[in-house]
Amino acid sequence: MMEEYTIGLIVALVAVIITFAAAVWEKNDIHRLIIADLGEVAALAIIALVATDLAEALIIPGLVVGISELMALSEIYLVREGLSRPVKQPFRIEVLDTAPAIIAVILVAYGIVLSGFTGGAVAGTGVIFYLMGKPHAERFALIETVSGFAWVFWIVAFFIFMIMPEYWFFGVMLAGGAILAKVTSKMSLVGTMRGGNNV
Amino acid sequence: MFELAAGAVGGQELFVLPFGDIVNYFTPYTIALFLFALAFTLICIFSKPEKQLDVAFGTDAIYAKEVTGKDLHFRRFMAIACGVATMGAVTSGDIFNFTLFVSMVGVCIIGIVASVKYKHVLNAAFNYGIISILSTIPLFGGAAITLAATGTLSIWELAAIAPAMPWIAKALIIIGVMGEGIAPFYAAKAELFRAPGAPYVIMIHVSSLLMFLRVVEIMLTV
Repeated sequence: MMEEYTIGLIVALVAVIITFAAAVWEKNDIHRLIIADLGEVAALAIIALVATDLAEALIIPGLVVGISELMALSEIYLVREGLSRPVKQPFRIEVLDTAPAIIAVILVAYGIVLSGFTGGAVAGTGVIFYLMGKPHAERFALIETVSGFAWVFWIVAFFIFMIMPEYWFFGVMLAGGAILAKVTSKMSLVGTMRGGNNV
Repeated sequence: MFELAAGAVGGQELFVLPFGDIVNYFTPYTIALFLFALAFTLICIFSKPEKQLDVAFGTDAIYAKEVTGKDLHFRRFMAIACGVATMGAVTSGDIFNFTLFVSMVGVCIIGIVASVKYKHVLNAAFNYGIISILSTIPLFGGAAITLAATGTLSIWELAAIAPAMPWIAKALIIIGVMGEGIAPFYAAKAELFRAPGAPYVIMIHVSSLLMFLRVVEIMLTV
């Protein structure tokens, strides 16, 4: 087992060395950004080599930190280069005015019945479809606020599990409802990714 | 269970806060670092930003660069987040949490200067960010090798079986913290201080200093 770990570690370190060499030689900034992200993947590979439950639990925070750094840097790159999205004329056909509301209602209702993470994904798909069919003048700050509060309720439910285990049913309901709202609102943001001022 | 060795560099533990197997703690050394970070965070919360003045040559005029409105709110928020991440890093009793907090400090530092509109500052922030992303490789790599070699990430357990942490893991973690903002890589960061908005910009420096002091303590303990 240790043997395999050593081989894997050597491969990962070779990948890291190649990444570092590329980062040194590359002069184009956007390419350097992508190379740095590739290095992040190599770091996750080194964690994954440990191959225990703990390593699995460490990958998600590592990934989140890497993605947040990548997003922050991309934002800086956009501001520095003065890049902004071109304004495109939205695609309009008649069915986009009537169908989204009906399909969205069905999916959201079914999602609420399912509840929890799966329900959130189903309801989120409905809301994505609705928002994609609409001109984007909705209040996205409101969706974000709902998402934030849902997250707080989710955490509160976890504290209920830990501090007052006898109220576990209330905790389950709270967590299920909150994760439904959270996943729905987060997924619905995908439907709004078409540029514009308020996105 | 939670007792540091008598000769530990940070002194005896004063307070221990166990969250399951993640145990945060204060020693006389880290409590000093914590209070320093806390004081600076409070300064960021309550003080008003400086007004940088530029003299226009050949006249008797000056330009004032003010930080106002949304920009002010965002930078204050990022500076406070940076302070909280620093406090987390100095109290953390877990190697991986420490490396995560160090990376978070890097993200917050980019955030503090992200809304500045001066090209040289953005340039420096971009270069700093590249180094900061690349330095997460040795940071996480060092933590992962520690986990693979010793089976634990807790500073308590590592301190109990003292020289167990492989030297390569120690070296990698130190290189990672260096990349997040100390000596040889500091050049990428120095330009960031030319951004206006003093107490928030100073947070960039304070956090790196505290990271450095804390990583030394960890490396001498485990």
